[in-house]
Amino acid sequence: MTAHHSPHGEGSNLLERLKHVIEHAGHLLPAQGPITVFIHHNTLHAFEDMTFDEGVQAGARIFGCLPYLTEDRYRQELARGRIRIDDLTEVLHRDLGDRSDGLIGPLGTRYHLRLTMLQYPMRLGPTEELRWFVAETDALTRVRGDALPEMRERLLQETRHWVMRDLRSGQRSQGESTLSDGRAIAAQGERAVIADLLERFDESSIETWSDATWETFTLQALWSVCRAGVVQVTSLRETNGKVENLPHGRRHRDLLFEVTGEDSDSKVNDLLIRFCAAFLDQGMARWPLPNREAGFFKAFCSLYRASGGSPDWRRLGLPAELARLEDNGVGPLDSIAESLRMLGVEEAEWEEFISATLLSLRGWAGMIRQMELRADRVRVPAPPGSVTEFLAVRLILKRIVLAEIAQRTLGEAVPLDRLRDALRSRLEERDTLDPDQRAFLIFQLAQVRGWSPSSLLRMSKQVWSLLVTEVDAFSEIERRRVFHQAYERKFRQQTLDALALHVKGPAERVRSPKFQAVFCLDEREESMRRHLEEIAPLTETFGAAGFFNVPIYYRGAGEAHFVPLCPIVIRPQHWLVEDVAFTHGESAQRRAKTRKAIGAASHRMHVGSRSAAVGAFLTAGLGALASIPLVARVLFPRLTSLIRGTASRLVRPPESTRLRLERLTPDPGPDDDHIGLSLVEMTNNAERLLRDIGLTSGFARLVMIVGHGSNSLNNPHRSAYECGACGGNAGAPNARAAAQILNDLRVRDGLFNRGVEIPRDTIFVGGYHNTCNDSVTFSDLDRLPFSHQAEFTEFQQHIDEACDRNAHERCRRFMSAPLNMSFPAARRHVEERAEDLAQARPECGHATNAICIVGRRARTRGLYLDRRAFLVSYDPKADDNDCTILTRLMSAVVPVCGGINLEYYFSYVDSVGWGCGTKLPHNITSLLGVMDGAASDLRTGLPWQMVEIHEPVRLLIVMETTPEKFSAIMDKYDGIGKACRRGWVQVVTWDPDSAEMQILCGDHFEPYRLEAKELPKAATSTDWYRGWRDHLEFAEIE
Amino acid sequence: MGVTVVAAPASLLAVLGLLSLLGRLKSEQTVSRIVQCGVVVGLMASLALLGLMLVTGRRHIEFGFGHWVSIPHYDFWIKFEFDRLNVPFVLLTFILCGTISAFGTRYMHRESGYVRFFVLFALFQLGMIVTSLACTIETLFAGWEMVGLSSALLVAFFQERPAPVRNGLRVWIVYRVSDAALLIASVVVHHLTGSGDFDNFLGRAAWPEGHGSLTGSAALLVGLLLVLAAAGKSALIPFSGWLPRAMEGPTPSSAVFYGSLSVHLGAFLLLRVSPILDVSPPLCVVIVVLGLATALFASLVGRVQTDIKSALSFASLTQVGLIVAEIGVGFRYIALIHIIGHACLRTLQFVRAPTLLRDYNTIENAIGDQLPIGSVLFPRRFSDRVAAWFYRLALERGYFDAILADWVVRPFIRVFECCDMLERRWTDFLTGGPSRDLELPQSPTRTLDDLL
Repeated sequence: MTAHHSPHGEGSNLLERLKHVIEHAGHLLPAQGPITVFIHHNTLHAFEDMTFDEGVQAGARIFGCLPYLTEDRYRQELARGRIRIDDLTEVLHRDLGDRSDGLIGPLGTRYHLRLTMLQYPMRLGPTEELRWFVAETDALTRVRGDALPEMRERLLQETRHWVMRDLRSGQRSQGESTLSDGRAIAAQGERAVIADLLERFDESSIETWSDATWETFTLQALWSVCRAGVVQVTSLRETNGKVENLPHGRRHRDLLFEVTGEDSDSKVNDLLIRFCAAFLDQGMARWPLPNREAGFFKAFCSLYRASGGSPDWRRLGLPAELARLEDNGVGPLDSIAESLRMLGVEEAEWEEFISATLLSLRGWAGMIRQMELRADRVRVPAPPGSVTEFLAVRLILKRIVLAEIAQRTLGEAVPLDRLRDALRSRLEERDTLDPDQRAFLIFQLAQVRGWSPSSLLRMSKQVWSLLVTEVDAFSEIERRRVFHQAYERKFRQQTLDALALHVKGPAERVRSPKFQAVFCLDEREESMRRHLEEIAPLTETFGAAGFFNVPIYYRGAGEAHFVPLCPIVIRPQHWLVEDVAFTHGESAQRRAKTRKAIGAASHRMHVGSRSAAVGAFLTAGLGALASIPLVARVLFPRLTSLIRGTASRLVRPPESTRLRLERLTPDPGPDDDHIGLSLVEMTNNAERLLRDIGLTSGFARLVMIVGHGSNSLNNPHRSAYECGACGGNAGAPNARAAAQILNDLRVRDGLFNRGVEIPRDTIFVGGYHNTCNDSVTFSDLDRLPFSHQAEFTEFQQHIDEACDRNAHERCRRFMSAPLNMSFPAARRHVEERAEDLAQARPECGHATNAICIVGRRARTRGLYLDRRAFLVSYDPKADDNDCTILTRLMSAVVPVCGGINLEYYFSYVDSVGWGCGTKLPHNITSLLGVMDGAASDLRTGLPWQMVEIHEPVRLLIVMETTPEKFSAIMDKYDGIGKACRRGWVQVVTWDPDSAEMQILCGDHFEPYRLEAKELPKAATSTDWYRGWRDHLEFAEIE
Repeated sequence: MGVTVVAAPASLLAVLGLLSLLGRLKSEQTVSRIVQCGVVVGLMASLALLGLMLVTGRRHIEFGFGHWVSIPHYDFWIKFEFDRLNVPFVLLTFILCGTISAFGTRYMHRESGYVRFFVLFALFQLGMIVTSLACTIETLFAGWEMVGLSSALLVAFFQERPAPVRNGLRVWIVYRVSDAALLIASVVVHHLTGSGDFDNFLGRAAWPEGHGSLTGSAALLVGLLLVLAAAGKSALIPFSGWLPRAMEGPTPSSAVFYGSLSVHLGAFLLLRVSPILDVSPPLCVVIVVLGLATALFASLVGRVQTDIKSALSFASLTQVGLIVAEIGVGFRYIALIHIIGHACLRTLQFVRAPTLLRDYNTIENAIGDQLPIGSVLFPRRFSDRVAAWFYRLALERGYFDAILADWVVRPFIRVFECCDMLERRWTDFLTGGPSRDLELPQSPTRTLDDLL
């Protein structure tokens, strides 16, 4: 993305180029749309042309966020065994390749140096901090506590020998000729470095020095030597260094802030946040922004040019400036060009400067862009070009405020276009690391590596220079990158070991299954499927994307709008509605009327309670009654919700409804005659679903299709918990539609002709799993034939038991749920969480996601995967040679599962920077998103409460295929190829026959080696997880 | 029993405060149990007291902690009373604080400031109880200060971000102004009547039938100072700017502090001193005008707010303005009922604020259509330009922050800068040269060598 825009053809002018730059910079803005439809995506989507490591580091620089976890955090993980030394060494060797054995003089290899820098925390900071550290601790008197005893001993002994034998004997032998002249001179030179020191420690009594004195002496000698060594090479480097100028496109605000401590953004943002919120408002305010339809720029000018506004902005000259612009017909683009000129920003730095300016209020700017691009998805869209207009307004405000602050704080009138030069001249020259800091680092390294002062002193300038270069090259970011790879490697190895050990023979499906159940591939359903299989071993489960290949716009009975239920990459072509059964028509209408009356009344109350007159009546007259629901809902959430549920049953649409599924007219559409799918379309969808999951034979008598969603209170991010494959909505209608389609005998005839035979006595039933309160409900049970009822009742008992156990397994991750709960108590606990207004963590969402397994369930069945794996059913034996099915699956898995995973990665690694921080002060604004507290940038990403227990690793995709086949897919489909080869997901192929695994490393595959000996075993899942809160190892469930 | 009502929150604060100072509070469960205990005991005691007052028919119960200072012309008591005004108010405080503390124990789960939140919460609750039960103006002031301090610290709860701290400071400054007014008022009262006892200057009869001993201009002066104090605390014009800024804290604190209890404290003060209002009609006029102007202003501003917490805070302010106006007109009981009803309803709304999107969706489904945008427009008879002018006024919240900065803060700072300049000249003259150079920070040495 940093590719510079090339100069256009002859005819293009300045404004065209400017427009292009703005357009380009806009891609950096967060791509999150309205929060009601939360689509997980890679936070750094704009950087996917780079490799993962380049991308996160570039993103971190541009956004000012963290690319990886902190070094301290990784060291903690090292201490608790989450990263093993083996992982570090492996990763380092791989990272350095053949450079790892490069020698740094007598000090060992590059590999050892790096390993030491990873293993031992080195204190590094500004010189002032180091001074404090040295003065307040025993850093210069005692060897570091974490240095190995032998290293410490070696350091002390060698120094003692050196001083006693070489230096002192050298001195004694000065007039004599026993020693060769060369050695004597060398010894003399060495002595000079520590002469002061010897004097200070009273050399005459050297024979009687205590051990402690020797230790202090050694360390101080070491420090003197390190400092002298570093100084001699840095003074060399100084002359050819200094290329590191301050970055070119820095904003005036950043420089001004550094020099004066005044933040010009805070005044600009104060006004702009309010205006952006009013401009984008989707119906929160009762009085909309006047003149909004004229666009951002015009609306702003006409609102703020009038006289009599805020005295501070009037003093700054905002109304006059806006009047000038408007009266002279200066458009937004002209105004930007003018502002850039006034601020002294050259065309060469436009790109960088404009990106930085847009990113300084990235949430709002990003939302404006989304409203512009996705105008079809929102109620009040933004007209095209709004981002440009936003930028124009921002630059006008900015230059006005800057001029004032500069004048006031710098004490002289500096023209705006030369402001940055004036500020730069006031900034102190800063070197990245001064000699003291480098020397202190090497001083610490010497202690843990046992480098003695003498050996360091005898090193040539070249070796010193090499050492300093090496130490500099393994910078903090580099160390964190290596740490992160080791962190991921441990997990990858553990996962692949478990998979390899678990597969014992050829994969075989359940023989004559009693039930089959198709769930969403979501990792939250992993435990559900596992428990179901444990309870009813004759059940076979499948995982498919939760829209079950029925992409639709759907409107339920008692709902106002059509909602798209399919992955965001698909635009549905069909509309479905739910109708109340004809016999209930009358009561349905009556209830609809009642609902409408209640709805209208509650809306009026909602609005009225905020007005003066109605509000006075409501609060004074009825307000005290509000204490009843208040106390009840807060103190007894579950009971209150039961009562509310019972009450609302009276007005809800009747239970018996049906889908208007079949369309007889040729074209689909949202109006009455064009609702539904044609027979052929239904057959196509059904065939694809069955072939995708590999269920084309061996049908059970009952096949469940279970969609999922999540329901919770007081949760603006609710949509992020729902089914991602349904575009952040509940997938019940898709499951219901899929089941109905598959039950249609004409569809089955069609399928028969295409080679899929569904037995006459197989019945499909649609269901819905609420992942928050762990309930499963089924639809269209009225149509269940009598012959299947007994079996269905049995299945219902199984699934109910599975829900209890699933709730129980989930509860181990909730710190506020005791570990000793029974299954039913766990179920009650999760039910209460869903209804609790005060609950900031109704469920953990995708927080445990880490793996995606694309293959036959038979290979993973009976393996405890700790709710960490997306399980996609895929039968490689049924796929053709071009891997059509796998391609189809991967083109959904990579962006969707990979997107979920990366969004969690970033929101965890830097919760405040990439994510939206803690949920507690969130404030819903404009019905679009959340701000922190009273006014802030619009916060994108995930809240901390949602990602808290996440382990930030890239998604590990394990798929049953061969490297050759997958390489072909990557070559053919650029989207998949880019994400996999550039490391935004980790890919492992798993041979369908031999079960051999190969890991994708950049462009080639490398074989995986088994490390573990055996897999732990447990009788049931519960036996394995009971009593533990953390992520667990994988285990075999017998 | 009366003592228990005060002692329960006081010991709650003492226990939480001491334990957290000693670093002994580690588990969330312990904190929540202690809080529950404190609130329940207080609530039970005040309920029992209410029962007792109803049964025995006593309308006024006093108890004190003695004369702390008693010299001629000056008298300082710590004294509490129970009457028709403050018993409902105390009950309301306990019920809302209890509910919100139960809410908070789950909402604040695993937050690093968990203990801090509940310590401040305990301080706030004690402040509310002391203020409402106070029977002397000094006691009232003590409670008033506790409420102010805890509120400002709770606004700045997320202290790692700059905005909450900045806004907390702003709240604190406005509170200081109103505190100063209250303090001056109490000095004036002492000066005029020799003691700060309410019995003395508000009359001995039980509320609301007391007759003030102050008259004419004295009543007006004291009354105006108290109105200034109330205006700061209740965010009346022109101090309204702090109310939306106070929404920086976690949801439960904004709910209970600014939505329901703390914002009514100004109105409560006016109710408490209502006997003064009775003797000074000009004061009543001032209060009515202030209340109505605030209500009008807040309802205008509330119409354009685009975020739920600001919208609710201006809705609160609208009602508070009306309540103040009611007090000015003389509807004491109506005002009290209005306060209680409003506090309950608004707390519920604040607590449910994050569920707004879902509520809108539910309502839309019930109605079967999209909700109207702009349901309440500006009166149509004005031209677009006038409407836009008012819209901007509302969007910018009446420019009060900027106006206060220009007309109050700036002159204030200027005076002190002037003093500073004079002082500098004087010291320069004394030293015979620049006298303040020593105060400049020394640039630190940049090497480690001298530490060897």
